[in-house]
Amino acid sequence: MATFGPNQGPGAQESISDADYLVSELYLPTNQRNPTRINEIQARLQQLQKGDHAWAVADSLLQKDGSPHHRFIGALTFTVKINVSWSDITEDMAVQVMHHLVNHFVTRVNRGEQAMVTRKLASSLVTIFRHPASLWKRALWQVAASLVHGGYVSEEECQTVDFFNGVLPAMAKEQAVALVFFSVALAEETLRLDAEPQDLAVDGSVIQRAVLNTKDGLLLVQYILQQLVHQVNVADDNAVDLTLGSEAMGAWKTWLGVYGNFQRSTDTDKTHNLAIVCGQNIIEALRVPSLSESAASILTSAFESRSWAFDGNSLWMLSDILAHSAVTMHIVSVKNGDEISENMAFVDLMVAYVSSLQMELFSDPMTSQNVEILTLVHDIFQTPGYAAIDDLATPRVLEYWNDIAECLPDQLETDNPRYQVVKGHLAQVVLGVFNKLLYPAVTDLEGWTDEERGEFNAFRYEACDYLLSAYPVLGVELVGVFQESATTNLRNRDWRSFEAAMFCIAQLSEAVDENGHADQCLDAIFGSDTFTQLCAGEETGLPLKARQTLVDAFGKYESYFERHHSLLPGVLNILFDSLNFESCAQAASRSILTLSKSCSRVLTAELPAFLDQLDRFETKPTATVFTMPKVLEGIATIIQNLSTDQEKVQTLERILGFFVQEASTARDEAAGSGYEFARARGHLVLSCIASIGKGLRADSDDVINIEETQDGNPYRPSFWNAGPGAETQRLIMESMRLLIVDFPVDNNIIDAACDILKAGYTESSGLFVFPPSLTVDFIKSFPLGISGTDVIMATASSFLASHASHALQIRNEAVALIVHVAQLFSSMLENPDMYDPETANAGIDFLARLLPKYYSILFSLTEPLSAPASDSGSPRPPILAVLLNFTLHALTRPEPLPLRSASTFWVAVMDLRGSTEEETMAIQSVLEQFIPPLCGALIQQIAGRCSRSDLLSLNDVLRRTIFKKMGLARPSLNAALESLDNLLPNGNGQQGSPLSPHDKSRFLGSLVVARGAKQQSLDLVRSFWLKCRGMTFDYAQ
Amino acid sequence: MSLCQTRLQEERKQWRRDHPFGFVAKPQRTPQGAMDMKRWECAIPGKAKTLWEGGLFKLDVTFPDEYPTKPPKCKFTPPLFHPNVYPSGTVCLSILNEEEAWKPAITIKQILLGIQDLLNDPNPESPAQADAYNLFKKDRKAYEARVRQVVKENQP
Repeated sequence: MATFGPNQGPGAQESISDADYLVSELYLPTNQRNPTRINEIQARLQQLQKGDHAWAVADSLLQKDGSPHHRFIGALTFTVKINVSWSDITEDMAVQVMHHLVNHFVTRVNRGEQAMVTRKLASSLVTIFRHPASLWKRALWQVAASLVHGGYVSEEECQTVDFFNGVLPAMAKEQAVALVFFSVALAEETLRLDAEPQDLAVDGSVIQRAVLNTKDGLLLVQYILQQLVHQVNVADDNAVDLTLGSEAMGAWKTWLGVYGNFQRSTDTDKTHNLAIVCGQNIIEALRVPSLSESAASILTSAFESRSWAFDGNSLWMLSDILAHSAVTMHIVSVKNGDEISENMAFVDLMVAYVSSLQMELFSDPMTSQNVEILTLVHDIFQTPGYAAIDDLATPRVLEYWNDIAECLPDQLETDNPRYQVVKGHLAQVVLGVFNKLLYPAVTDLEGWTDEERGEFNAFRYEACDYLLSAYPVLGVELVGVFQESATTNLRNRDWRSFEAAMFCIAQLSEAVDENGHADQCLDAIFGSDTFTQLCAGEETGLPLKARQTLVDAFGKYESYFERHHSLLPGVLNILFDSLNFESCAQAASRSILTLSKSCSRVLTAELPAFLDQLDRFETKPTATVFTMPKVLEGIATIIQNLSTDQEKVQTLERILGFFVQEASTARDEAAGSGYEFARARGHLVLSCIASIGKGLRADSDDVINIEETQDGNPYRPSFWNAGPGAETQRLIMESMRLLIVDFPVDNNIIDAACDILKAGYTESSGLFVFPPSLTVDFIKSFPLGISGTDVIMATASSFLASHASHALQIRNEAVALIVHVAQLFSSMLENPDMYDPETANAGIDFLARLLPKYYSILFSLTEPLSAPASDSGSPRPPILAVLLNFTLHALTRPEPLPLRSASTFWVAVMDLRGSTEEETMAIQSVLEQFIPPLCGALIQQIAGRCSRSDLLSLNDVLRRTIFKKMGLARPSLNAALESLDNLLPNGNGQQGSPLSPHDKSRFLGSLVVARGAKQQSLDLVRSFWLKCRGMTFDYAQ
Repeated sequence: MSLCQTRLQEERKQWRRDHPFGFVAKPQRTPQGAMDMKRWECAIPGKAKTLWEGGLFKLDVTFPDEYPTKPPKCKFTPPLFHPNVYPSGTVCLSILNEEEAWKPAITIKQILLGIQDLLNDPNPESPAQADAYNLFKKDRKAYEARVRQVVKENQP
């Protein structure tokens, strides 16, 4: 039982005195700068708040008339003590505490208590309300009646007087304020319990009691707001109590939440109408100057989430206020540049209003209010300043129009007169927003932070999103608007407006580039004399931003320029020129590449000019690994279209000569300890050469099938390796040699070198078709463990794949590569410290890829692996055994990638089918030898040892083995299961659950029944893994 | 309207109303200009004060018919150098896996923020591509240099 007052048990008085002292200390100015002391006081105070005498302490503190701090802590102590004693509070005790708290609440309020104490007491009342032992229902009614009565009134008694007509009119203003505090606290707590339930059943019953107060909460709002509006009408704005008004409006919003969440769908007592009427009261409050801003914010928020709280009458009232009242003047003042937050609240409300109406706004005929509101909406685009920076209204209005543009085609037929009306508005928005897209002058931009620049750019993209939404409605006329602007401003050298127009045109490319719908508009810009002058470099005043946007636009209209290649030389001229500017260089190089690629055949005549441009560019600081390779790839695609190899070779020699020189320079830098410069230069050189290789690739249609070559030689003598092109090919090999042999190992350099090798794999002959030995020597030149092994071995796989149709003709090279991998694996098996997961994964992946076409070569390698030069001692196992044992080893290790590639490898082995009897026997022999250890490795892993994420890969091997080789698999799996210890270690190294013989045989039996079905098998494997782990280990944990 | 479409329209609305700075998420458009609500083009900025700062990484998000019961598929275009991004560009993240942490209540905003976090905080337990994973595990300096390069190649 709760005991209140100072004389309740031994030690109570002492606790009260302590608490009194501690609260005084807590607020003592001299202690405020001493966090240690404050922490110490709070710790001691909390002990008292949770202690046996906490009720008495709370009581006593609340009665300290002279100190609101003491009373605040007193109220807080009630909350703390209720929470601490939660499990001890019985039904009787809950009533007692509630009774006591109501009396305190009434007393304090009637003595003119400060808001912070009243709020805290209201919060304590809510805490006891939400206790599961509490039977309290109509709490608002009871507290209101008690306030009026001057002391506690029981729930039954209070309901003898009508709440709205009897209790509320009898309340003083301070009492009403306090009741609203309690009302809001109760509603907020209800929503919180709903959002973050701790115990669904308990919280559910509390919520049920709380929602019984919804109607009273709304009646209170209605009563207060009607009183306030009445006061204004009979007196003036000064008579309004701001706190009361704001709190009441806030209470409406919170109770709307409760009603919406719990009652709206089953409402039978007309609470919905009451909620609407309260909303109308708040709409009326927009006319009260001191309440209007709060009212606007509350209404905006209600429109966004509770639009059902407004009926037709509400909307009519609001439209009238938006169109003809002081609110209208607030909105107009935003347009005039007065964007104080108060005014913005009304813009937000206007946007919320028009958004809620959607297409209904454009009724036929439109109401006069809505016509005026739409004018206000359009006028927002005239707000001075930069959108999203000092004009916050424009982005909000634009968001609305974006919604309308997106909805229109789905909601109205094009022949509907309203469609035309909305279309007119959408067009008006385009004109309105255009001025907002002007990029800031350099002087304005200097004062902006990075974030502001980002905000403004984001707004520009939002605006373009609008244009794209409006395009299906407005059609090509939309492009026409910007074309007009672009051509006029280009002529007048108004670069800011030109840039904005080109920006819009560039973004609209998504809608018009491929279909050619706007070609006429684009012709008008790109075919104009002024643009020709710009291309010829006669215009020197083009600002950087306009150049950037122009370069972007070129890249976005690839299809247009393909259809208009006569424009290309000029455009490419601008692009090459733009390579000199850091902020444009990347975009320019991208556009050079895309345009050269798509129009390479028609650009051959321009090649000399481009090569001159390239010569100038090569030495510029903007010639980086991000730009130069793209430019070279573009140029190489044009070279590829020259009519003779002789022409090609001359051009390529001119380009490659530069790179050999650069490679030598890099080598000198490396020798002089300038490693970083050397690496960067080396990377650039090889990336550029690789890009040339990419550009020179023949069109896929023209590729000659190597299989059809008569002599079977994978490296036939040709123009490029034995004729006039040989010197050019030598230049490439020389560059690679300079940057690979005895050069610092670098990941980027390896990548680029591999790209060079791969460039010729899809060709029958050409500059980049190197002797096969070059690839083999390159791959063998790297030691075990270097970073980049995966790229190197992927190149080896590509090499073998390119010769797959005549595998036997490169048998020697294939064997050399396989043996190289076996040597790497052997080193790792013999020296566990040298185990490198990357090499393991790359090597196994290489084996898995070669398997389908080269397995007969692989399976024939039964001779012992030769020992390294340093070790001439004991004989080593056969090459094939080394390789296969290593894959099994990888299956038992924890590293995920080698495990996955080993799984893929064994799946590929299971899928092999020999085409001759000899091949079939070779496969069978491998399977007979390796299926037992494979099954052993698989069972070990899925018996709780591997990670959960590895089960997918392991299951693939397991099910394939069972499905394809049941005869061999079943006894092997049985044996593997038998050999498992009965108590398995789980993933944490602790003992898992026991696995009975029945579990094992049932698992195997079920797998066999699943016959390789993926999901069924996976489910079994997962359950088995969980069982072995001995706990309900899952992702949730 | 299907549950999937309704939810996506709501997501679109919410995103318009409030989205994290620098992120992009919008439905793709068909050649006729209409919106395809089940395919969104998104962009994720690298987080400030991380290696990825300054980059903007484009991502295609494809929603299955069963969305939100099933998660969307998120794919970087072009594929991104990152240990938890498959060579195809598909992101490997627990909240995008129906069998792991996907919940229908997860919003597009949360997905994109989750992927942004993943950029600088890869999960080495779930490697999806060998290239970035190996470098991340083996040579952190080279990994960071490569990330810087990726950032430069993916500027807004």
